[in-house]
Amino acid sequence: MSRTPTRTRMRIPIRTADVALATQARTIAASVDNSSQLPSLQHLRLLHLASPALPIGGFHFSQGLEYAVDCGWVRDETSALDWIGGIAESSMATLDLPVLYRLHAAWKRNDYLDVQRWNAFLIASRETAELRAEDRHLGSALLRVLVEMQLTTELFGANPAKHPVGVAHATAFAFACANWQLDASAAAQTFAWAWTENQVLAAVKLVPLGQSAGQRLLHALIPRMAAYSARAADLLDADIGVCTALNAVASGRHEIQYTRLFRS
Amino acid sequence: MQRPFHPEGDPCHVYLVHPPGGVVGGDELRIDVQVDPGAHALITTPAATKFYRCDGRVSSQTQQLRAAGASLEWLPQENIFYRGGDVRTATRVHLDARSKFIGWEINCLGLPARGEPFDAGTLRLDLELWKDQGEMTAQMRDVPIFIDRLRLRGESPARGAQWGLAGQESVGTLLATPVTAAHVDLVRELLHGHLAAVSLVDGVLVLRALAPQAEAVRHLFIAAWRALRPGVIGREAVNPRIWAT
Repeated sequence: MSRTPTRTRMRIPIRTADVALATQARTIAASVDNSSQLPSLQHLRLLHLASPALPIGGFHFSQGLEYAVDCGWVRDETSALDWIGGIAESSMATLDLPVLYRLHAAWKRNDYLDVQRWNAFLIASRETAELRAEDRHLGSALLRVLVEMQLTTELFGANPAKHPVGVAHATAFAFACANWQLDASAAAQTFAWAWTENQVLAAVKLVPLGQSAGQRLLHALIPRMAAYSARAADLLDADIGVCTALNAVASGRHEIQYTRLFRS
Repeated sequence: MQRPFHPEGDPCHVYLVHPPGGVVGGDELRIDVQVDPGAHALITTPAATKFYRCDGRVSSQTQQLRAAGASLEWLPQENIFYRGGDVRTATRVHLDARSKFIGWEINCLGLPARGEPFDAGTLRLDLELWKDQGEMTAQMRDVPIFIDRLRLRGESPARGAQWGLAGQESVGTLLATPVTAAHVDLVRELLHGHLAAVSLVDGVLVLRALAPQAEAVRHLFIAAWRALRPGVIGREAVNPRIWAT
């Protein structure tokens, strides 16, 4: 199989769980290309999950973009594309999406320990108070919305917002997708799209950019999101990580920014 | 490792001396530290750890630091990654609820002073802090509180990009626990003029700093350690003598 990673020959101590997950990642990769023939019901479910009208409050969060605009790192359409596309490539595609694939697989096989493991991994990877609060907020808010759709889990207690670890957005998103028989790669694309749309809307509001510029940004980012979602399916455990240090610094400094429209 | 000694009374100072000549492809360094109840260890290194160019083989360094009812200070000099290195480092800190910890990791990409950036090679650099949560979660006893996994290829646009490393060759992370918001304010006052930010995540202070060279990050971290030590560890800061040489 051409997707078989070549880096498995690395001579480093590998935990048994890593081997199991690498195998699992390959299994996921093999099933990636089924999304072109999504039945209409599942297609509509995905649109619902990605909708900005979903009452989880995603529009409150800019993930450091508000600080980046404030200090001039992002100042126009070009720098907004660089910022959003770069973070997508070096954080979304290499952390959120590969973990989303693993969460989706874990929910599907009712492996709740693995769900908790990857959920805790994602939460711990949010390195500022605001990014962590955001992920927990979106995760528990989405679980609450899903209750209205007859989808409930006991895994994070009666009130997931009060769970000691918290629920990551991707954990709740994968829960819905796995239960509605939505394909993992379609789930990853949809998750990436929702994140992108939210970032672009934040840029339109903050820079500010015109609505046309916002649409150009989304149009330019869509092919990249498709590529990143596919790439994320193949990523080995050892390659999960980020390279967005200044985005984290922006988020940390946003905590003490004088005037703020956004909660992150 | 040199013989442990006690320059300030009870705390045990340890100088970890790495193999001479640094780390090359195929090398696997492993360091395990266990600090038992009631003990207090301060660990540092006399010089930077150098990871040289690799000839197709990965060089790796795994460091497991465990403290149970103990104080641990992990204050090593920087890691220097030469152009062309294929390196995997992992530092995992495991603490129980009663342990105190201040520690940092400073990573230097290439040799900025010699004009040799890390423009080829692969880095996988992990820094993790785990806590034994006891009864808090039924199924998972050990919970990750902080995970930082830097993944960088030399040719990546992230090295120069404003959202990535913005051309800074040195990036460091300092962690301290248990802390309060007052400790975070204390550290924040030190950050003027630095490309740095501090935050508080689940009882752990996270200070992230970038600079053109490791020295600036190290000086900031030493200042932060000196500010934090009385409140977190319960002792005034006494710089290890080896830092002065």
